[in-house]
Amino acid sequence: MDENSFAHDKSPYERPDAPFRCGRGVFWKKPCHQGPYVDGRCGGTSECTPLLKGDRWQCKRPNSAGGPCADGPTPQGECSFHRLPCSPWPTLRVIRGRLALLAIISIAALVGTSQAFDQIESRFFSSSDARHLTKAHKNFSEEKGCSTCHVAHGKGPVEWAKAIFTKTNLSDNCVNCHAFAGPSSKAHNGDTNKYPNLQDTQCHMCHQEHKGDQLNSNLLTSKQCNFCHKTKFESFSNGHPEFPEKYPYLQRNTINFDHVTHLRKYFEDSKHSDNAPEKCTGCHLLTLAGRAVRSDGFDVICGKCHSKDIAKNKLNLLRLPEFNENRMDEKAVLQACNIETENMQVKIKKSTEEDFLSVSTDVVTKVSAYLLNLEENDPDAYGQKLQDLIMAMTEEGTAPMADLIEQFSGKSQADKLLAGLNPEVLKRAACAWALNLEYEPPAAAKYGGWFADLIDVGYAPLEHGDPVAKNWIEFALAAASNQDDDIRLKNAVAMRDQILSPKKGVGACAKCHAVTAHKNGNGKDELLMEWKIKWPREKPYVYYAHDKHINILGIADSCANCHVIDNKADYSSSFKNFDATQFTSNFKPIERGLCVQCHSEDQISQECQLCHIYHLNSGFKSDMTAVKTIIHKKEP
Amino acid sequence: MGKIWGFGITAAVFFSVVWLWTRQIENELGVSSIISGWALFAILVSLALYNLRKRLPFLPLASSSRWFLFHTVGGFLAVSLFWLHTGISWPAGFYNQVLALIFYAVSLSGVIGLIIEKVYPRFLTQSGDEYIYERIPSHIAEIRKKAEDLVIECTEKTGSDTLAQHYMDTLHWFFQRPRFFMNHVLRGQGAQIWVQQQCSLLERYLNVQEQTYLNQIFALADTKRKIDLHYSVQTLLKGWLLVHVPLSAAVMALVVWHMIVIQVYFQ
Repeated sequence: MDENSFAHDKSPYERPDAPFRCGRGVFWKKPCHQGPYVDGRCGGTSECTPLLKGDRWQCKRPNSAGGPCADGPTPQGECSFHRLPCSPWPTLRVIRGRLALLAIISIAALVGTSQAFDQIESRFFSSSDARHLTKAHKNFSEEKGCSTCHVAHGKGPVEWAKAIFTKTNLSDNCVNCHAFAGPSSKAHNGDTNKYPNLQDTQCHMCHQEHKGDQLNSNLLTSKQCNFCHKTKFESFSNGHPEFPEKYPYLQRNTINFDHVTHLRKYFEDSKHSDNAPEKCTGCHLLTLAGRAVRSDGFDVICGKCHSKDIAKNKLNLLRLPEFNENRMDEKAVLQACNIETENMQVKIKKSTEEDFLSVSTDVVTKVSAYLLNLEENDPDAYGQKLQDLIMAMTEEGTAPMADLIEQFSGKSQADKLLAGLNPEVLKRAACAWALNLEYEPPAAAKYGGWFADLIDVGYAPLEHGDPVAKNWIEFALAAASNQDDDIRLKNAVAMRDQILSPKKGVGACAKCHAVTAHKNGNGKDELLMEWKIKWPREKPYVYYAHDKHINILGIADSCANCHVIDNKADYSSSFKNFDATQFTSNFKPIERGLCVQCHSEDQISQECQLCHIYHLNSGFKSDMTAVKTIIHKKEP
Repeated sequence: MGKIWGFGITAAVFFSVVWLWTRQIENELGVSSIISGWALFAILVSLALYNLRKRLPFLPLASSSRWFLFHTVGGFLAVSLFWLHTGISWPAGFYNQVLALIFYAVSLSGVIGLIIEKVYPRFLTQSGDEYIYERIPSHIAEIRKKAEDLVIECTEKTGSDTLAQHYMDTLHWFFQRPRFFMNHVLRGQGAQIWVQQQCSLLERYLNVQEQTYLNQIFALADTKRKIDLHYSVQTLLKGWLLVHVPLSAAVMALVVWHMIVIQVYFQ
């Protein structure tokens, strides 16, 4: 190889950025040495551009192309050599540049076209559609499409430009449908008053859309939990705080069911042993097992022994008490009661001629004492008011009593409290009492409900969950919570205590149903009877999956494996006050060590979210149902 | 070798820092893909700067071999960051899929280009001659003219047209333009064997004087074969960029669009 083959006089300089190459060379002919101009014109129609030196034109063909030619330039200064022009071709560099530009233009065109497709209904291909929404989100966003969540979608370049420089929060749109018991943008929807330094969060930190049919919710790792939580630890088995002292029995049940007395005493008694369940699942339903293993209803598990207690315990609405004097207008009574005077004359005469002797020696009921604001043991104090009420009842039946109740609770509540009370029955009883007689009903009340008998008007609950009995209990609880007057408060408390008496109260409801103090909307304490079984959720961020554990451990012994009965616990005393937190459980506390037996290294998972729930009572907003209605209307 | 280790370690450290940063952000319940995305964008821009460097050879911006090394290591770093950014699963959505498809195409073309750049230049050196790609048409034209002049001279001086007839039937095709492109690319001996066959076939029919001319034509054909090798290999060396560079431009365009969409939809 000639080492000097690229010397300046042997080899022309090849410019790497030359945009064109000789068209002759493209077809493998001898390319001209001058090559094309940068604008793509052929530069090889002559061999050189002669230079005027003095008065002579000189050939400027370079040595690499053979040096000055023999003919030399013409007298006019033109090259004597002429050849037809070629069509220069772009170099690879230019082709590469053009392809790159074409690629960019193609992408821009693709994006532009797909943006146009975004505007029309069928988004066959879209440059902004990430697709693959979850099933649930796909359904509800059908109408508005992407703009359901992304507000700038489909609004044109101006809105897009604004959106780039405007901070928006995607989570704002999530809470249009999703609801939580606390602030949605705070960690764990926690109470910011209690925890002022709670971290701000956004839904998409964990819940990522456009990842397929199922929502891709990232389970939090221990490290992520440790980032915020002050108590940091490796895993559940290694460093996790011990469970609280009474865990999981931190709060009183809503139903006073003493496992110890039932299992150790009643179920072992031959009188009741036939009704005793064989094991825990005799009362607790495995089919409903989840956070708790709920029990079956009263009728199934309690009614066999306790249904009679309900009807037996009656409400004493009115009782004819002892009167010191008769203030009744007998003629008016007879007229109001439409009684034939001839039949009653002797009795009335007798009672008026002699000193008045009340047919009853009892005292007024707690209910009437409260309603009329009476001193229940002082006939002189209650005589006038009560006889006026009786007199009014002879004329109008239940109306005076309803009016009386309405003063405290409104008409609606009064109607509920006296639901089913026959005005005629009350009138007849009042008529008898007004004439200082015991009321003799035409037949004994066998089937429950309102009754009048001798000196009493009362109510016998028909069955478990009797609405009238429940209303009277709620009335009594409300009355005792809302009194400023001392006498009325005393009467209200006495009425409440009587109605709530486990042995004598109406329906004996309070024998099983707990009465708990709550804060009402105004921040005042009020008492509520726990009518329904509420499974304690005092730790809303904790979830124990009973069903999965029962599946693994088996039905036979799985309950007792964790729930160990404490025979010494004074369970029932917890229900004597209204504070649900003052509670002694029937069962011994469960300790972390019990769980660690299985949930530890190299055994069963220890992920935080296996037991802990991130959100506080997550759910949907009520107007989600309205969305469904609109969708259905549009269907053909 | 030391340079590649330097670049490799730097890339590994860079990736580790980004990876740890994303893990930290995920632990803080943040959106880690923002960090990995910006890191990936920075690397892509720096890779694209190599093309700019080629256009500015007069600036003291380090040698092209260093840039090539940086571009190579940076390319693998970009792929790693892409997986960190998107996960290894195939993305959803039309434009995300187009972006992923073109990104992988660029990466694949880059890997193929790297193999080409590492394997083929040594073949050019082994050939013993050096030919500027742009001058190959000129060289071929010159060789062709010399060969044809020899054939005419042979016919005139020996009075025999055997060589001329054979040339027109066989070697004329060979001298017209570069031949045996794929054979040269695949490092085959096809051109060499073909030339030898054509010359040895004719040799027995020529006299001593004609054989002298045949030997000169054979030497020209051998030179032409080497030029063909240069043409094939240099076309490959330059041609893969016709795929890689336009695809890279498309990726950058889509990346810009992706960033706009992210800003509009997820800011």
